[in-house]
Amino acid sequence: MEQAAPSVEAPRDTAAPVKERFFTRNKHFLLLAPGVLWMVLFLIIPLAMMVYVSFWTQTTFAIKPELTTKSWETFFSSDTYLGALVRTLRLWLTVLAITFIIGYPTALFIGQFVRNKTVQTVLLVACVIPFWTSFLIRVLAWRPMLGKEGAINIVLSDLGIISTPIESLLFTELSVVIGMVQIYVVFMVGPIAFMLARIDDALIESARDLGASAWTIFRKVIFPLSLPGVIVGAIFVSVMVLGEFATASALSGRKVNLLGNIILTQVGSLKWAFAAVAGVILTIVMAVVITGLLRVVNLRREL
Amino acid sequence: MHQLLALRWSLALYTALFIAFLYGPFVVMGILSFQQGPEGGPQFPIISWSTFWYEHVLGLAPPSRVAPLPIGEALTRSIALAFATMVVSTLLGTLTAEAFRRHFKGAGVIFYLVVLGMMVPGVLLGLGMALISDQLGIPRTWFGTAFVLHVVYTFPFAFLVMLAIFNRFDKSVEEASWALGVSPARTFRKVTFPMIFPGVLSAMLFAFTLSYDEFPRTLFTGGSEVTMPIAIYGTFAVEIHPNLFAFGVLTTLFSFALLTIYGVLMGISVRRARARVSGIQEEIA
Repeated sequence: MEQAAPSVEAPRDTAAPVKERFFTRNKHFLLLAPGVLWMVLFLIIPLAMMVYVSFWTQTTFAIKPELTTKSWETFFSSDTYLGALVRTLRLWLTVLAITFIIGYPTALFIGQFVRNKTVQTVLLVACVIPFWTSFLIRVLAWRPMLGKEGAINIVLSDLGIISTPIESLLFTELSVVIGMVQIYVVFMVGPIAFMLARIDDALIESARDLGASAWTIFRKVIFPLSLPGVIVGAIFVSVMVLGEFATASALSGRKVNLLGNIILTQVGSLKWAFAAVAGVILTIVMAVVITGLLRVVNLRREL
Repeated sequence: MHQLLALRWSLALYTALFIAFLYGPFVVMGILSFQQGPEGGPQFPIISWSTFWYEHVLGLAPPSRVAPLPIGEALTRSIALAFATMVVSTLLGTLTAEAFRRHFKGAGVIFYLVVLGMMVPGVLLGLGMALISDQLGIPRTWFGTAFVLHVVYTFPFAFLVMLAIFNRFDKSVEEASWALGVSPARTFRKVTFPMIFPGVLSAMLFAFTLSYDEFPRTLFTGGSEVTMPIAIYGTFAVEIHPNLFAFGVLTTLFSFALLTIYGVLMGISVRRARARVSGIQEEIA
């Protein structure tokens, strides 16, 4: 239909229709070109540049485009860098597991036990509201919570649970984990609650009619159907935690160095090639993680 | 049945605790923002309640040893950047989603290319862009190198929102308009745009807030003229003071104002759409 209208009028005039026909014929191309061009120029080329530069020669203050694997060798023979890689992976797994464990029950309640759509929305919005505070301020807000004279220590000692304040709460890996879990857990809750809310009630009812216990229904019906949500949530959390550096430096007093922190400090001291190596390794880790997660569930079919 | 009821209540209690966990730091921050100034630090106990730090943020407090936050310039930059990002990414998102209404060869590749923009961590993209600007001698600025990366980040969100809208969009309405001889431009203005307007609004909201709070990409490519998140990050290294908390409370209120405007506009557009539908139905009857 949409091509027919201009071509009917085509014979009447000569100059305008040629232009118009050009637009209709290439409409698709013209619609796509700006977005694709933008992404190629400012997304693909920078990432390709990063891979390329990781093989350049690093001198004290500059990089030269002479190809070498020296930066890679330095990375894999240095305890600092390897340590950062291991720490990043450990922290990622910890945060991922905790966000799933503490996020799932909430999602289950919102998605399955709240039947009223309005209440469901209100609860989800309540979870999202903290996001309206700047990310860095949210990270910073954990300092007065976790410190030696922080809110948690005050509450715990007032309740008589502890006699001396717990000092390991702030400026340790634990504080980084706590901060990241609070910041990212909502990305786990959202997709799971979404999938749970979509489950057809008739399915659960028929399982119950057939005599399945609540636990069996959860294990055999509810959980498998929520799995795509879990995977989407896990992808969100993974991508964000693996690329983190601000939470780590703010809540660990720069003691916990992740790959992101390594990249930042290397760029700060103009060690571009090392930074690029760390960047490529981070990319590879992330690609492996996402591909692995997508293997579990075929998202295109499930969503 | 009793078992299920018990489960329901324990889950409800758990959800309440969970939400308390999400809000905990924020409440503490709100309380501490009323700490006495300028001696009071960012911790308990509250020496005495005061609004000193709010005055400090707004530049009304007498000069003290605590340096004021660079609110004026940094905030203006942040808002200008977020606004430009919002316009460009909503435009790109709508154009690309419009193209996706018909199937075409390579749709999958282009889909993933666009979505990649929101998946790639800011550190990597920031590093890549910093490398390029270093090698090509392009100066790093918030309105140049940082801006293009902001769009790379927010354009996929706008695209996905618009894609969802177009998916639910009844194409026959548009076709009917064409068939009745209404010009494509007028059809877009009178038929298509009102229908996609809620989506456009959501895409704009996404793009604005994401860009406004964007941090890693700007840190690598923003240069020496800082935006608000970078200014906050700069205070991390030195001692922190309750003025950051007061600022946090103020920005949250600002966000709420923005959200309210969005809600009101959305409400108006939904009501209008409803009124139009019922009007048409009356005419038909």
